Amino acid sequence: MYLILLPILFPILAGVCLLVCRKDLSRKLLTVTTGTCLVITGALAITALTRVKQDFTLFYLTRTLPVYFHIDQISILFSLLTVIVFLCAGFFSFAYMKHEQKEKRYYGYYLMAFGVLNGLCFAGNLITFYLFFELLTLSSFPLVLHTGSKEAIMAGLKYLFYSLCGAYASLFGIYFLCQNCDTLTFTAGGVLQVSAASKDGSFFLFLAFMMILGFGVKAGMFPMHAWLPTAHPAAPAPASATLSAVIVKAGVLALIRVIYYIFGADFIRGTWVQTTWLALALVTVFMGSMLAYREPVLKKRLAYSTVSQLSYILFGLAVMNEEAFTGSLLHVLAHGFIKGTLFLTAGAIIYTTGKTKVDELRGIGKEMPLTMWCYTIVSLGLIGIPPTGGFVSKWYLAIGGLAGDIGIFRYLGPAILLVSALLTAGYLLPLTIRGFFPGTDYDYQTLQKREPCPLMTIPILFMTILSVLIGLFPTVIVDTLTDFVSTLI
Amino acid sequence: MDFVCNFPFFSILLSLFSGTICSILPGRAAKVVNRIVIAAVGVMSGILLVYLLGTGESFVYWMGHFPAPWGNEIRAGVLEAGMALFFCIIMYLSMAGGAHKLFDEVEESKHNLYYILINLLLSSLLALVYTNDMFTAYVFVEINTISACGLIMIRQVGRTIEAAVRYMIMSLLGSGLLLFGLCIMYDLTGHLLMSNIKESVSVLIQTGEYQIPLIVSVALMCVGLCIKSALFPFHAWLPDAYGYSTVSSAAILSSLVSKGYIFLLIKIIYRVIGFDIFNNTRIIDVLFVFGLMGMIFGSLSAIKENDIRRMIAFSSVAQIGYIYMGFGMGTQAGMVASIFHILSHAATKSLLFIAAIGLTEVSGGSRKFIDLTGAGYRNKWAGVAFTAGSLSMVGVPLFSGFISKLLFAQAAVQVEGKMLAALIVLGISTVLNAIYFMKTVIRIYAVTGDTSYPCITFKDMKVHAVVLVLFVIVNILLGVSSQPVVNMIEQGLAMFA
Repeated sequence: MYLILLPILFPILAGVCLLVCRKDLSRKLLTVTTGTCLVITGALAITALTRVKQDFTLFYLTRTLPVYFHIDQISILFSLLTVIVFLCAGFFSFAYMKHEQKEKRYYGYYLMAFGVLNGLCFAGNLITFYLFFELLTLSSFPLVLHTGSKEAIMAGLKYLFYSLCGAYASLFGIYFLCQNCDTLTFTAGGVLQVSAASKDGSFFLFLAFMMILGFGVKAGMFPMHAWLPTAHPAAPAPASATLSAVIVKAGVLALIRVIYYIFGADFIRGTWVQTTWLALALVTVFMGSMLAYREPVLKKRLAYSTVSQLSYILFGLAVMNEEAFTGSLLHVLAHGFIKGTLFLTAGAIIYTTGKTKVDELRGIGKEMPLTMWCYTIVSLGLIGIPPTGGFVSKWYLAIGGLAGDIGIFRYLGPAILLVSALLTAGYLLPLTIRGFFPGTDYDYQTLQKREPCPLMTIPILFMTILSVLIGLFPTVIVDTLTDFVSTLI
Repeated sequence: MDFVCNFPFFSILLSLFSGTICSILPGRAAKVVNRIVIAAVGVMSGILLVYLLGTGESFVYWMGHFPAPWGNEIRAGVLEAGMALFFCIIMYLSMAGGAHKLFDEVEESKHNLYYILINLLLSSLLALVYTNDMFTAYVFVEINTISACGLIMIRQVGRTIEAAVRYMIMSLLGSGLLLFGLCIMYDLTGHLLMSNIKESVSVLIQTGEYQIPLIVSVALMCVGLCIKSALFPFHAWLPDAYGYSTVSSAAILSSLVSKGYIFLLIKIIYRVIGFDIFNNTRIIDVLFVFGLMGMIFGSLSAIKENDIRRMIAFSSVAQIGYIYMGFGMGTQAGMVASIFHILSHAATKSLLFIAAIGLTEVSGGSRKFIDLTGAGYRNKWAGVAFTAGSLSMVGVPLFSGFISKLLFAQAAVQVEGKMLAALIVLGISTVLNAIYFMKTVIRIYAVTGDTSYPCITFKDMKVHAVVLVLFVIVNILLGVSSQPVVNMIEQGLAMFA
């Protein structure tokens, strides 16, 4: 069953080879090599997802802590998202990275992050998960500080410290869980010993809260969200696309694993932890949208939007019923494709025009119609207008919120989601409006078609189509999810 | 008695006499002798370890066949043999890694002196590890101090002389206190052999006599050894001593010499006083508190430091704090974690020192961070090795540092009153570690336009690169397959009783 290791080890090794290779590869050779590696990794990951049925223990870290891999539906969902976004953003970067330095280093870490994310999806117990979670931080922060400017380095450091602090807060919980769980293997319904839960219940609730906060750092949950709007704009656009679409989702994956597979939803439901978590998530939803609304720089605006949208997902997880959970998982996919597309379009705009502020981009829709059409379609999706992906997920989230046994949040939750959707329209659509309707004083003489090369537009188009498909045929996904969601709740 | 049982005695004697021989040899020959001795002692310790794992019990070796309580004794168990083997490995690698630098740092006429000191240091470390006699321990503590002082001072720049004087004063204060404690203990019990003292001590405890002198004696010995191993707040001598001596000396001093004293303290705790009696005193609480303070203040000083060698040295203060925190927990698990951390820290700290020299070499010899910008590109091997060492220090999984932190935390969880303090400080210290080590890693990989410094490739630094790789391998081995090592430590501690 070594097949499960291949999609993890192959890209990591390929990345290391790229990094240590001393020769200056020609640009063509470099992109071809990286592209091949990306495609092979994607193929390996999908092979592993479909073919591997067994668990796999690699070795024992200490007597009771194995490094252990296991594939379940959650792994499949996150792994597919990872593969698609990494392939799209990877091909996009072959065109985009032309105007950046040190491409080899970028691709090296990009491949490594890919492998580590696969490992994260396949991790079968908490310690393995933690291992890859740390590695993910380490392999992704070089992407943030890639440009090497002082600003980028500070952003990278900020990312690193927020992540390490968060990871340690979680490790704090893991220390105690080692003692009080029969096993740390992810098991639906939780593994916390009944005796420990009843004896020191309030203490374990506190631990659960620490772990929510700790892993929540990666998911940009208030009050530890500040790294996200700094790190995203500093990174090259394709890297921010993967950051926003997949890497921050590692925080979501972590919370699913910890709350539903280690503590168990029943242990948290109805406690102060759930209430606080709901409150934090809703605060983040609202605050993120507000901040995005006020932000003039496009990439930063998108980053704030990520903060807000990720907390939609966290809200769904915190409600703890089937509809909301399904909504969260759908939103993971929908937001992944949508935000990936948005960052890639932002990258395409920066690449062709060099402009970063929304106000400067008048008439951009006339210059780059295809790109801006994709932007508009996925924007509508993020706002939640049918038939795009965002509508279905938000629908499930709202239904779940209304049906949940969560006191005042039953009404407050869906209300805030709605307000935030309005704000989403408020911060995403101005670019479309200005882009396509530049106003009467716009000088059409200077207009020139500046559509980027197919290497950029095809990934954008592909992800846009996917995001719409999710909205059109959500039942395909929902049906496969229903069975196992009911085991978790 | 099997022939193998002679090996501890052979090891000590071999390194002691080779020191004498080195004094009449020219530098190059002395170097060869030195390497052969370290390797031979390592091999003997390895064989001894295998033998002891086979028999499963420790043995006592009578020097000159005089029975106790008159004769001098050597005692070897799994932990002693393992420690000796590990010390030899680290020492050999540190010597090999710093050898190319020696010509810049020490006058050629003094090279054989350098090797004399190293041999003496090895013999005293081995004696501290193996001895079963308190007075012998004291004698070798002094030999250790003298040779360590020489190692600091042999690089004759103003700063090292000052550092050596400082080290000498602090160290002698430490050994003086140890001697006081020893005298009181001798007065109370009438014995110098560890096992005999232990019997008398347990009798004293049962009868309830001489409680205060007994505690005073234990406290004096502890304080003495704490000063010598640079527990906060007795660490003032450390940054200069580690920061300005030759690179091999720095690596050996930080990873072995201070650990030799700590190992002696462990032996005193288990073999002289008795683990339970020691834990019933308030001394462990004091050690615990100072350990925690060391973990924080050591890191804070390291953050402020602008010199890479001194930064690594200050980080040692924090790591020594971890070890004493483990002692302070007063449980078997805490002790196991501390001993594992001795190994883990020794492997990591020497790696960092040896890697740092590679980085400073390509930065015009400067150790200031500003000059080190981009050094990781100029010397790739040292850059990667330094990064690996830093990750281990921060406690990233797969490296040895993670396992020791895990062991500390698991030990802390079992101790009611100290759990929260230990875990919180462990957390703060991890973050502080991350701050200064990651800052350095980013610094050495920052892009710089300055091309005035040379680049070094594998061809120019074969030995150095191989040593660095070996160090990283030792680190990862400790991190990935920690269980056998932990089992061995547990077995060794069981043999102590």
